[in-house]
Amino acid sequence: MPFDRAFALSSVLLAATAFSGLVLAQSVPLWLALPTASILIISLFHAGGLLFLRRAIAQITVSTTLWNILLIGAFVILLIDLTVVSRDLLSAGIHFLVVLLSIKLLTLQQRRDYRHLYAISLMAILASAALTTEAWYVPVFLLYLLTAVWTLLLYHLTQAKSEVPAVIAPSSTAVCHTIFPSRVTHGFFWLTNGIAILAITLTLVIFFLIPRIGAGVLQKTTGQAVRTTGFSDRVDLGTIGSVKQDPQVVMRVELPDQSAVGKDHFYLRGLAYDQYNGQSWSHSGTSRRSLNLVADGTFLARPFGHRPSDGLPETIRQDILLETLDTAVLFAAPFAELVSGEFSALQADAMGGLHLLSPPSSRIRYSVTSHIPQIAAGERTASILAYPDSIRAHYLQVPPGTQQVADLAHRVIQQGATPFDQTLAIQQHLLENYRYSLESATVTLDHPLEEFLFTRKTGYCEHYATAMVVMLRTVGIPARLVTGFLATEWNEYGGYFTVRQRDAHAWVEVYFPHSGWITMDPTPTNNAGFATSRWEPLSRLAESVWLQWDRLFVHYSAKDQLAVVHGVREGSDVVRERTGRWVSSFTVPIRQALGRLLHKVRMFHPGMWGLVMGVIVVGLSSLLLILRDRIGFWATTYFLSTSHPQIAIAQLYTRMLRIVEQQGVNKPPTATASEFARLVEREWKSAGPLVAEVTALYHQGRFSRTPLTPSDLSRAMEQLGRLQSLTHPAR
Amino acid sequence: MSSAHAIRAIQDNIALVIKGKTHVIERVVVCLLARGHLLLEDVPGVGKTTLAHSLARSLDCSFKRIQFTSDLLPSDIVGISMFNRQKQGFEFIPGPIFANVVLADEINRTTPKTQSSLLEAMSEAQISVDNQTHPLEQPFMVIATQNPAEYHGTFPLPESQLDRFLMRLCIGYPALEEERKVLDRPHSLHPAEMLEAVLSAHEVLALQAQVDQVHMEESLTDYLLAIVQATRQSELLSLGVSTRGALGLSKAARALAVVRGRDYCLPDDIKELAPIVLSHRVMLNRTHGMRTQSFEQAERMVLDIVETVPVPV
Repeated sequence: MPFDRAFALSSVLLAATAFSGLVLAQSVPLWLALPTASILIISLFHAGGLLFLRRAIAQITVSTTLWNILLIGAFVILLIDLTVVSRDLLSAGIHFLVVLLSIKLLTLQQRRDYRHLYAISLMAILASAALTTEAWYVPVFLLYLLTAVWTLLLYHLTQAKSEVPAVIAPSSTAVCHTIFPSRVTHGFFWLTNGIAILAITLTLVIFFLIPRIGAGVLQKTTGQAVRTTGFSDRVDLGTIGSVKQDPQVVMRVELPDQSAVGKDHFYLRGLAYDQYNGQSWSHSGTSRRSLNLVADGTFLARPFGHRPSDGLPETIRQDILLETLDTAVLFAAPFAELVSGEFSALQADAMGGLHLLSPPSSRIRYSVTSHIPQIAAGERTASILAYPDSIRAHYLQVPPGTQQVADLAHRVIQQGATPFDQTLAIQQHLLENYRYSLESATVTLDHPLEEFLFTRKTGYCEHYATAMVVMLRTVGIPARLVTGFLATEWNEYGGYFTVRQRDAHAWVEVYFPHSGWITMDPTPTNNAGFATSRWEPLSRLAESVWLQWDRLFVHYSAKDQLAVVHGVREGSDVVRERTGRWVSSFTVPIRQALGRLLHKVRMFHPGMWGLVMGVIVVGLSSLLLILRDRIGFWATTYFLSTSHPQIAIAQLYTRMLRIVEQQGVNKPPTATASEFARLVEREWKSAGPLVAEVTALYHQGRFSRTPLTPSDLSRAMEQLGRLQSLTHPAR
Repeated sequence: MSSAHAIRAIQDNIALVIKGKTHVIERVVVCLLARGHLLLEDVPGVGKTTLAHSLARSLDCSFKRIQFTSDLLPSDIVGISMFNRQKQGFEFIPGPIFANVVLADEINRTTPKTQSSLLEAMSEAQISVDNQTHPLEQPFMVIATQNPAEYHGTFPLPESQLDRFLMRLCIGYPALEEERKVLDRPHSLHPAEMLEAVLSAHEVLALQAQVDQVHMEESLTDYLLAIVQATRQSELLSLGVSTRGALGLSKAARALAVVRGRDYCLPDDIKELAPIVLSHRVMLNRTHGMRTQSFEQAERMVLDIVETVPVPV
């Protein structure tokens, strides 16, 4: 493809990429996106060289005045948009930007227009960066970078071509065609892509080394919080059912020690309720205590002295990425012991619910270490349990008029000899005799519990859990209702649970004096739910990529950097110690020491590698900058195409011109090589012979029929090397 | 004798007579090798005729001199058909043009009719008289001289004829030291008469063939064309260089390469020869009220234009 066409094509592609960024950021309305997209497509075809289009467009010649009037019109519309329609500078500005883009695409004629197009594209890609933190931005941005590199290269190449004075007929491009191919060759293609990839790699490294704002700067914050249900002071029966169909993601839970837990379900406890008035659940105590900090950003959530003594404490760690919710409750597997995250304070209520001071305004990430409650073996078989008074006072309350429920409970527990067995019996009864259904609209009923147990016999988690709690309480077993999420959607690619709004759940905690609160769930598994499509694994994969993006990029914070720096410090200490020992004990076989060193190296903080790589890259880049000329020289000599000595000597000669130019002796474009050699002879005596020799070789290699021999080439290189080491006395 | 040797020898030989004008001599040889014709334009007495004479003497070729006057007739140049009684038919008596080197002295003193009789000879190297075509002997070179200082009783050469000269040269006054050498010479004999031929006609033809073999790289052709284009587009000139001019420059550049011992052209060859090869083929926009444009003026214009064309790297 000739450069001109490639240039036009890549310019339009650049604009297209930037525009798609804006569209994906959902900031371009459809009425504007469609015409712009069609203009883009037409421009693409036009630049790509569809002849009939070229001809058709060549016929549409609209005067520049009209375009200017259009521009002014667009600006007026922007003002109207700003003041009347959207009343938002950002969206109005983006609309204006898109209109500008379309107008520019239609009037691409001079190089100036292309420059305008680039400026608009840059603004568009920046605007879409500011508008989003989504992962789709990565491919768009990478594409943008790639096309930008292409466009810049082609811009300069075509520029060099058009700078040849007008006195030369277009056919005689003698100046440049011998060194630069005027078409996109294979080598050029790969070179350009290589440069782009290098730029992207460097960008990534810098990206990791520089802290950034965690969210889009201009990200709209209004209306972003997910409305949740069931995490306030009061829960009306039937409220959870309303969200059971909502697939909106609420949080993602990573389990770093995955093997410890089954992948089919995972309870995320929110709040517990102890008081039931026949229609709704509420808290009896509203007092909260602030949690103590045990380390930087880590809170101790375990109630004092509440650690069961027997058995191995089984703990599970969760890293939770919580979306913006309208509640201040934090979720965790029962029961949270340590909570760490970037919040200043954390409160716990009497029943183990974790509260932030206010609902977070953006997505937050926190880690929880939970202790999984397990019933002590002794309590499974104990027929009588002695409950403390405080427990009895709170967790045996039943609403008045529940005699019917009590009767049922007593009937159900007849076989059970121990409280544990009785509990299981009630759970079993509920599991077996009731049908799970979301259709039971019981909100308006006066006695939803009785309705569920005796009339409809269908319901969902709230009904099941309420029924179980009330039944347990009527037979004297303390219990409470817990709301939260039951995660069932395991993402095998990312190793985490995706928790959605529809995973909202209610279950039961039963009290055992030694074991504490034990989680029970009387709700049957809802298999009727959501048909898994063929694309499910794919969407899970995409989602895990998104999560990685969020963690690695969006939430890469100054703290992470500090960790990296700490890692370096520790690492360097280790290295120093190692080397010291290594030096002191020369008798130790080198292999052993190396092995140990290697081991230590492997133990480094992984983040340290990022920093080390960064330092290396920065160092290398500065070295490259300093040694630019040298490297240019090496590169010229190294990449000399020995298969084309004619091109090689021309490259060497150009290189020589640059060296001499840096010393202040410029070659006028209209001077011949020998004239220039004489000029150097006059202006810079010591370089004269070298330049003369290279010029002679250049003449022979460039213009004669017989190509230069490799030894001639190396002689030219040698002279260049000597020339490089000379300095013009006048400078 | 190798070509480099031969070229050296002829230059040295001429230099024995024409002192201190190595540059001019080189160009004369270039003109010879490029199969071109030479127009020497200078004030009287600087050695125009002597130069032509020396060149002719250095070659082992026939040499004729035609003194152009206002009453010279075409037949005085090309020859005439006369009735031969013995053969009972017309017989062509060749004129002085039938020689290897022809010196057309003061060519602007004769009438255009006579001047144009040179045309065919110069471009086609043949003469047509009475429907008979007589080829000229090779090598064939016309060296014309004219005096730019005098205008009375002259007929300026028409453009078509000027275009047929490969180059227009000016000899110029010699430097003081060189002039002294000229004066110190013994006067008994014309110096050109003492010269001995160093090159045979055969060798000249071989050298001319060698010129055709010289390699001109593609970008150099582009460069040459760019210069020609530039003269056509220049606002300083009302008439640019013809295709024959471009061809001539190409030939001359090749010949200069041979003279300088190369078998390939350099940008310098083209750039150096462009003024003398092109300047008599262009017409200036303003001639400052003069009937003819001056040599220096045109040369300077061409030089200026050449300096606007970038040299290929």
